[in-house]
Amino acid sequence: MSLFGMLGMTSKALDAQRFGLDVTGNNLANVNTPGYTKRVADFGAVPPPDRFSAGIGVEVLGVRSMRDRLYDQRLYDESPLEQQQSAMAESLGLVEVALGKPGSSVDADLEDFFDAFAELAEAPTSATARQQVLSEGEALARAFNGMASRLTDAAKATDQRVIEDVESINELTTRIAALNKSIGSSPSSQTLHLRDEQTEAIKELSGILGTQVLELADGTVQISTRSGRPLVVGADSYALAAVAGMPSGYARVQAADGTDITLELTDGHLGGELHVRDTDIPGYQAQLDELAYAVATEVNTLHATGYDLNGNPGGNFFTPPTGVAGAAAALRMDATLMANPSLVAAAGIPSSGDNQVARKLADLRDASIVNGDTPAEAWTALVYDVGSDVSRAEAEQASRQEIVNQIEQLRDSVSGVSIDEEAAMMLRYQRAYEANARFFSVIDQTIETLLSLKR
Amino acid sequence: MYRVTNNTIFRNSLNDIQSTAEAFARAQQQVSSGRRIQQASDDPSAAAAGLRERAEIRATDRYRDANDSVDSRLRVTDSVLSDIISSITTAQTKAAQGRTTILTPAQREAVALEIEGAKEAIFTAINTSYRGIYLFAGADTSSAPYTKAGTTVSAYQGDSTVVQVDVSRTSSAAVTVDGGSLLQGGGGNVFQTLDALAAAVRAGNMSGIDGGLQDLQATFDSVTAAQGKVGATLSALPAEKLRLDELRRASDTRRSQAEEISLAEAISEMTRAQQAQQAAIAAAGQNQKRSLMDYL
Repeated sequence: MSLFGMLGMTSKALDAQRFGLDVTGNNLANVNTPGYTKRVADFGAVPPPDRFSAGIGVEVLGVRSMRDRLYDQRLYDESPLEQQQSAMAESLGLVEVALGKPGSSVDADLEDFFDAFAELAEAPTSATARQQVLSEGEALARAFNGMASRLTDAAKATDQRVIEDVESINELTTRIAALNKSIGSSPSSQTLHLRDEQTEAIKELSGILGTQVLELADGTVQISTRSGRPLVVGADSYALAAVAGMPSGYARVQAADGTDITLELTDGHLGGELHVRDTDIPGYQAQLDELAYAVATEVNTLHATGYDLNGNPGGNFFTPPTGVAGAAAALRMDATLMANPSLVAAAGIPSSGDNQVARKLADLRDASIVNGDTPAEAWTALVYDVGSDVSRAEAEQASRQEIVNQIEQLRDSVSGVSIDEEAAMMLRYQRAYEANARFFSVIDQTIETLLSLKR
Repeated sequence: MYRVTNNTIFRNSLNDIQSTAEAFARAQQQVSSGRRIQQASDDPSAAAAGLRERAEIRATDRYRDANDSVDSRLRVTDSVLSDIISSITTAQTKAAQGRTTILTPAQREAVALEIEGAKEAIFTAINTSYRGIYLFAGADTSSAPYTKAGTTVSAYQGDSTVVQVDVSRTSSAAVTVDGGSLLQGGGGNVFQTLDALAAAVRAGNMSGIDGGLQDLQATFDSVTAAQGKVGATLSALPAEKLRLDELRRASDTRRSQAEEISLAEAISEMTRAQQAQQAAIAAAGQNQKRSLMDYL
């Protein structure tokens, strides 16, 4: 190769090392960018034109991302499971808080209520004892009302999260479709950052509802729900809609074609929210309603067998519940009774000092009136169910989180940026640049020597 | 070779700091609150066990209160019955004095007045009320057991119901005494008996006095029998209370085992968690310090 050819080769080599530094700089710049995959500069030796040549230097082949699609796919698969449990743990946590502390919630009101009847049995004609029974009855009714409304609030809060999740899904699918458009229309070497963004967006989307992802040769993706409803095809996205469904008013999720797909969405954050809203909380509400219904009807039935202070047959104690559903929210004291404590029917015979019915009412404390459980046991069962559901979701979430962490570590071990590694690369390119520059000046001096021969 | 990236180090450090901080916070809360369980999800079965024991404690406390209330009520009943017995005894003694033929009319009158005094005392005693409840009217508390028109005492106006109060899940105690069978039992109406006795003493009617004494003895027997029953109930109450106290202690122990912590264990656990957290933070700091950049 001619000396001038060598100058040309060296300048290309300097360019190549500078390009390497460029890539390193970019890696360092993005060390904290979420989803960024480490880039490497690919160099190739330019083959010699003939056997008497050593070669004609280096060329930059391009830059590529250190991506392993397997890990991305594993993340798409695992994130929904982790997110589902996380959503459940959070929303059920709200319910748990609503239940209150042991000894100061409905349990205490039930005990106070039965205590009041026991005290009435000790002094059936006492105005204080009669008033006490009414006050505790009212406190119990309020406790049930409050608990029912807190459960409804928890369901409403969860419903709000469902709506937010649907909004997030639509944002993400719109973004992914836009990315698809850019990626499909540009050479792949220029879309590395777009594909990082795409991967991050798909991971987030999968976390929310669980997806099926199909990657096409041009780098674009097709995404559908687990049940096969299309979300992103090429540059088009298909928005989901959260529509108020009757009679609850809670959001139902509709696919782009208007089909109600709420029941298909069992995965991911959204699936977790829907499960809590539509299965768990209604289950707790039913348990609470059964307890309220049983207490109200049993107390009313017994109360009606008694006689009041004036020797008249007893009326209602609570306003009779219309059914089990909604009994806790609707529990009220009978208004006539509230206005006149002498109407409390404590006696089993028309004798004012008799206490047989008050005793029986007090004994309801130990009676198996709620599906074979005593009122206290029924409340305990509700607390246990909520507690164990929360604890199960938390444990499951923690173990799923561990799996996601490990996959992310594996992914990072391939795609992550290491500052030390980049520092080493920086040194390497710097040294190579220096060596090439030295070579350049040697050739320059050689040419200088050659030119001086003619003088 | 496994590549360790800055992200890996950062994420691991963060996870470790987070999880050790969480463990420390939990341990710290347990120590400061003295409770092992803050929420049911911390340990659902222990929380349920705690709730069950709390319900049991409330029920036991309630029966314990009922025992105390029954106890004080029966003590009043007991002392009233003693008063009645003592009045009957006085009447018996006086009537026996009036049975001799050597008394002057003035002395007879004095004895008759004493007998009438005993009648008054019994009338007052039998109408005793406690916390607004007549103790001897059965369940009929709307009227006094006996009323008086002039010196004539009415017949029993209560009913024969004996009001019971539960003193445990399985036992109840009678807190009223049927004043009808008490004073109008075997010996007929005790007030009428005493009226007749006073009249017989005034008239010096010996066979009348004999008959009156006989009737009085029958009433005496029925009142002492009633007092015996009250005494038996009263003496059974301490044993019942003792049993309830034991049940409560056992429930409280179980509740405490379910809900509370052993302070020594909790404090050492907290110290351990604190050390783990400090170590995690220190390790994270060390990790971030080492970098090739420092040597360039």
